[in-house]
Order: sequence, then structure tokens, then C-alpha cells
Amino acid sequence: MARVHHKNGRGGGGGGGGGKGKGKGKWKMPASVARKQQAAMANVDQVTGDKIPKSFVFSRGKLPTTLRHLQQDLRKVMLPYTALNLKEKKRNNLKDFVNVSGPLGVTHFFILTNPKSSPHLRMAKTPQGPTYTFQIKEYALAADIANSQKRPRCPPEIFKNSPLTVLSGFGGLGEPFKSLVEYFRHMTPAIDPVTVKLSTCQRILLIHFDREKEMINFRHYSIKLQPVGVTRKIRKLMQNNQVPDLRDLNDVSDYVTKAGYGSESEVDDEAATVSLASDVDKLNRASRKSAIRLQEIGPRMKLHLVKVEAGLCSGDVLYPQPVGKEGLGKKGKEVEEETEGQEDEDLMESDDDPEDESEE
Amino acid sequence: MAFAAAPQPLYSPSTAAGAASNNPHKRKKPAARGKGKGKGRLAKTPRRSDDPGDLPRRRSKPSDRFLKLLRKRARDYNSDEEERLSDEDEEEGASGSGDDEAAGAVTRFEQGCRAFRVAFTKIMAKKLPDDPLGPILSAHKKLVAAKLAEDAEEHKPKGEGRREKRMAAEKGHVIPTNHLDSKEKELIKIATQGVVRLFNSVSKAQNCRKGLNPSRSKDAKVLAKETKQAFLTELSKTSNQSQKGKASSNFSKNNSKDEDEPGWAPLRETYMLGSKLKDWDKMQTSDVVNEQTEIRLDDSSDEE
Repeated sequence: MARVHHKNGRGGGGGGGGGKGKGKGKWKMPASVARKQQAAMANVDQVTGDKIPKSFVFSRGKLPTTLRHLQQDLRKVMLPYTALNLKEKKRNNLKDFVNVSGPLGVTHFFILTNPKSSPHLRMAKTPQGPTYTFQIKEYALAADIANSQKRPRCPPEIFKNSPLTVLSGFGGLGEPFKSLVEYFRHMTPAIDPVTVKLSTCQRILLIHFDREKEMINFRHYSIKLQPVGVTRKIRKLMQNNQVPDLRDLNDVSDYVTKAGYGSESEVDDEAATVSLASDVDKLNRASRKSAIRLQEIGPRMKLHLVKVEAGLCSGDVLYPQPVGKEGLGKKGKEVEEETEGQEDEDLMESDDDPEDESEE
Repeated sequence: MAFAAAPQPLYSPSTAAGAASNNPHKRKKPAARGKGKGKGRLAKTPRRSDDPGDLPRRRSKPSDRFLKLLRKRARDYNSDEEERLSDEDEEEGASGSGDDEAAGAVTRFEQGCRAFRVAFTKIMAKKLPDDPLGPILSAHKKLVAAKLAEDAEEHKPKGEGRREKRMAAEKGHVIPTNHLDSKEKELIKIATQGVVRLFNSVSKAQNCRKGLNPSRSKDAKVLAKETKQAFLTELSKTSNQSQKGKASSNFSKNNSKDEDEPGWAPLRETYMLGSKLKDWDKMQTSDVVNEQTEIRLDDSSDEE
């Protein structure tokens, strides 16, 4: 079986511990019941009471090194409710993962495959499906993106909370995309605006649908808040917790009044400023304006929806329509045949389908 | 070394050695060689007289013809390589006479020694061509060349295959540019919009509660009033939306639902029960409410 190292949710351990403590005095809970309850607690958000979606990111078949890195990056995206160190073996089949996912409360599978050396990503819901198969047209690893940036910012704390999901460009689309939106929305824990702490919102997952090219852009950013109207020097002073270098200055006031270089270039546009509901950190206090800055942390993916299946990597093909409406027998056959490795020609054909559907 | 390039002398060491090995009388050769060498090096002039004198004592009887030949050999040996051409002819004759079994060892040695010297100096004096193969023995040259060609042929597809494999493995891998292009900026803008929307809604949801302490009767009244109002508006709106069949997002609406219940989930009545078990008769309305609690950040696209 797959060896699983699962990170429990925030309240999981604590909630279970409390229950046990109570049971010790009067009535001892049977171990199996306690375990089940604890498992159930771990799968439920302690504040909102919603079921927490958990995920497995794994691969089928042999992957080249870059794709294996991509897999690890995807796991980091899905943190904290994913198995970061999930080990899979060659003999593990999908059934093994499904069997493990039940007791652990894993709801989502991300399966990387590399058939005919064209990378594919399958997103599936366990145990019933559906399964969305994407072809990864382009991708960049988190490391590539960090290399491309002058000052990459990726503190490990941001992975302690799950990312926010922002979907855009999916409005008013036909069936395969409607269910896909539902899937994406339930991929990460829902946020209750009443109870959420702003300091836990540190990452954002952008899934943007490009209608012209029929591509789904997958981006992962870190959220940084900066107080508006505070000079860079003051900000740095607050952030660094260090005595600033005042050697060149005649007076302390010079430090504050002297214009720093570059601070003027970061003119905040009004659109990106928010007034915070609660204190986020030392700098970003409640009821003060803060600017939102996003910095990409990767990975970056360009996905093309190839297939939708009703079951978990099996079952009826919902998209593209298995029997071609065009009435061309040969064409229909080709569409049916495309299981994993799709030829470009097939892709072109399947590109036409969603348009037809949306028009109808 | 480049024996190949040397004009293949007849008296090349290999042939001499071969002839010597054929001869069963070479047993005494080492002694003779030692002597000969010593003499050759130390005193060259007396050799002519000495050599013939030495030999008869050991061997049974060298023929006159052979002695004459020996003398001539010695003379040739002592003289320099000016008469190389003539040497060759004579050497040919000598190798022919070398069949004489009695004198075989001595002649061979003499012959070999000299031949080796000549060949060696020749080789050393020779300028090596700039051959990519490097200096190789002539016999091997062709073989090695053939082998190398074979290897190269084998390696070429191997390297190509490896490159192809790598290309296949890297398929789709695009290393981003250092600057943000317009498309990326657009995406960041969209994401920022989403975050702003969320933060605004959060502040809207959380600000209205701020400053109100439910334990105080005055605030409790305000809260109750708010919830009642919100509840009523909620009721009127749900019917609207169910007609539309579209749950548009409005975070403030979530307040009304949560206002009735404690903030912490375990304190709620529905905790871990699932709304399906409780309120089973009100399934329709609860479904609508549930839909609204889901955060819809993608409304940027819906509304625009």
C-alpha cells in the first residue's frame, strides 16, 4: 500500500485529545469509536464545521525529473491538507489510493501522467468521480519562477494555510466547465467571511480560463500586505526589528523626512488597496488601508481540458461527446480512441465541441 | 609507433626476431649478445679482428664465406648510415645466408641490433603526421580506424537518442522570462481583484459585529434587530434567487445565517450532523443557503 504521511488539520489533534480526556473519567470510549471520531474531527473544520477537502497528488507511470518536481510543487500548492511526502510504488494501483483515501478523508486526487511523453494532469474526485483530464501544454516549476525573480519571496509560513481560490473567465460556459468550476471551488476549504482570520490568507490560486485559446491558466501567488502612506524606511524599520544605520544623518528626523529612493515608483493604485477588518501583523493594523501585492510562487501551468469522465478514471466519457455529432464515423472513432496521448489533430477536433455546446 | 610510415625495411626488427626464434641454436645468444654489445660500444675498431677469432673457439667451424660476410658486416656496422641503400642489398643477402644454422644466432643478433638501431633512429627522426588517431602501429592502424568508425557510428545514434529523450522529458517545460509580460500582469491583476473582493467582504462581514458586545443588553438588542432584519431580507431574496436559479454571491448575506448560531461550529446544533439529517423537511431552502455560503470569487467574470 501507499505509505501515507498525512498532515492533520489545525484542530484535528486537539479535538481528538479533548474527547479522550473526557472519556477517561467516567466511561471509556471504545478505541474503534474514538478513532473514527477523531478521524471525523480531522476531516471537519473546527470553526465553520465544513468538511475539509483533502488531496493526494501522485503520478502514474514513470515521470521525468521535471515532472516529478512539478508534482512536488503541486503538493506544496495543496498544503496543508495534502500528503506532502506521499510515496508511491510501481505496484500501487489506483485502487490502493482509493482505499487509503476513504479512512483519511481524502476527497481529491491529482494524478500526473506522461503518456507518449506529453504531460497530462488528471483531477478527480474520490471515490465517485468525475475525472477531468488536462493536457499540460506548458508548465514552469516553482524553482524556475523563483529564478526568474529578482527577490523571490516564499516564506515557509505561507504553506501553513490553504490557498484562496480565484476562478475567473468561467462565467456563462457550458456543461463541462460548469462542473469543473464546482470542482475547483471545492478543491480548497471554503472561506467563511465572518470567521476567517485575514492573517491566514497568504496564498492565492488563480485559475483563469482563456476563452480564445480554450486554455486554463493555473497560477499560484503569495499575498503580501503593505500599509498605504507609510514610507519605505518606516516599513523596513518595523519589519526588520533592527536599529537603522544613522551614521550619515545629522538628526534622527532626517531618517523619517529624507525621501527614500524608489518608494515613489511603487505608487499604489486604488484598486489594490483594502481596509482591513482585523490586525494582520504589526504593520497592517485593522481599519487602516493596506495595499495588496501579489508575487508569483509557482508552479505555473497552462492546461487544456481533454476529457471528462463520469467515474474515477473510468466510466462514461462526458466530454468530448463520444459519438461525434458530425456524423463522421471515423472522426467519432478517433475521439473514442484517444485515451491518454492525444494527437494534435484530435485536439483540434475536440476544440470544436464546446463551442457547439455553448451555442445550443 | 609509426612503423607504417617507415619504408618497411626488410631488416625490420620484427623479421629479424622472427628468424631468430625459428632457430634452435639461439641458446648461446645471450652471452654473445652481451659480448657483442660491449665490444660494439667500447671498442669498435678491434672488432674486425676479434670477432672471427672468438667465434671459431665456440662454434665448430664457420665457413670462410660466412666469416667474410661477418667482416663486411662489422665494417658496415662501424661505418655510418651513409650507405644505407647498399646496406639493404647486403642485408638481403645476409638474411638469405642466415639459414646457415651454425652462425644463425650471431648473424641475427648483429643484424637485428643494427637493424633495430637504424629503424629506431629512422622512426624517431620521422615527423608524425597530424593524425587524429595518434601514432599507431601500422598493422593496427586499419583495424583501429575501422573500430573507431564503428564506435562513432554506434555512439552517434545513442547521443541523438539521449537528446531526443531529454527533449521529450522537457516537453512543455517553459522557463519563464525575467520580466513580467502583459499577460502575466493581466493575470496578477485579476488575482489581485479577487483578493480585494475577498478582503472587502471579510471586512464588511466582520466590521458590523465589531464594537458590539452581545453580553450587554443594548448591543444585544441591536444585534437581534439586525438579525431579524437580515433574516427577513434573506427570506425575500431567496425566493427571487430560486426563481433565477442562480446564486449570486453576497458575503453580507452570510451574516444573517450565522448570526443565529454561535460562531464556533461545535456549539451549533447542526455540528457534524449535516443539514441533511436535521431540517430534512426544509431541504429546499437550506440548499439555497448552503450555496450562498460558498465563496464565489469568480463573480468577477459573472458580473462583468
